[in-house]
Amino acid sequence: MDLPGPIHNFLLVFLGSGLILRGLGVVLRINPIYSAFSLGLVLVCISLFYILTNYHFVATAKLLIYVGAINVLILFVVMFMNIQNIIKILIHGPLGMALLRCTILDTSWYGIIWTTRSNQIIEQDLIGNSQQIGIHLATDFFLPFEFISIILLVALIGAIDVTLQ
Amino acid sequence: MMLEHILVLSAYLFSIGIYGLITSQNMVRALMCLELILNAVNINFVTFSDFFDSRQLKGNIFSIFVIAIAAAEVAIGSAIVSSIYRTRKSTRINQSTLLNK
Repeated sequence: MDLPGPIHNFLLVFLGSGLILRGLGVVLRINPIYSAFSLGLVLVCISLFYILTNYHFVATAKLLIYVGAINVLILFVVMFMNIQNIIKILIHGPLGMALLRCTILDTSWYGIIWTTRSNQIIEQDLIGNSQQIGIHLATDFFLPFEFISIILLVALIGAIDVTLQ
Repeated sequence: MMLEHILVLSAYLFSIGIYGLITSQNMVRALMCLELILNAVNINFVTFSDFFDSRQLKGNIFSIFVIAIAAAEVAIGSAIVSSIYRTRKSTRINQSTLLNK
């Protein structure tokens, strides 16, 4: 969407802070059902974020596939497990703290912040986002497209075969 | 301003996903953190293709493939988790030590 500047920035900050809080909620909540719901909200925030950057097809595909199928599958698995041995004390031993320190302090935030972009002239898109993706999928990326369909078929058969016994 | 903020956000989600994946004792929570990691990678791809590749959208198309692969992997992962739960009645990760010794 071509929103004016302040609304765009406000929505970005809003979605970003929501993402941060819910990402922590996925990891730190004890009850796995709450963390599955937090994962669903993270995915919804990410698709709203894609709508802001004018990529409507990827946003809708993420909503349908991730929230509609994958999150529902994870919720089914969580509810099917009937996890009773929920440890009341959060076990964040030395390994967890070391890992948190590694991932947050050793990421080169400085290198990320100083990534510059070239000054591009933004032309007006005459073709929509779905049509562009469709054109490229049908011409340049046709072989990966067929491979993805085979992979999904094999995954489907494999999952049914594992759980049939 | 926008590019680096979004990249920092996706790097943060990636770190949180890795942290949760390794320090989780539940197999289902590990699957959920794996989804977080894949989503962070998707945000990175789409942001870069938005800022540098507005004509051809190669990063965007690759992120569609990542979504499809993540769907297949969650299906297989949950099938494995449910068959492990059926034989063992517990989903603790540190009890799967059959390949030891």
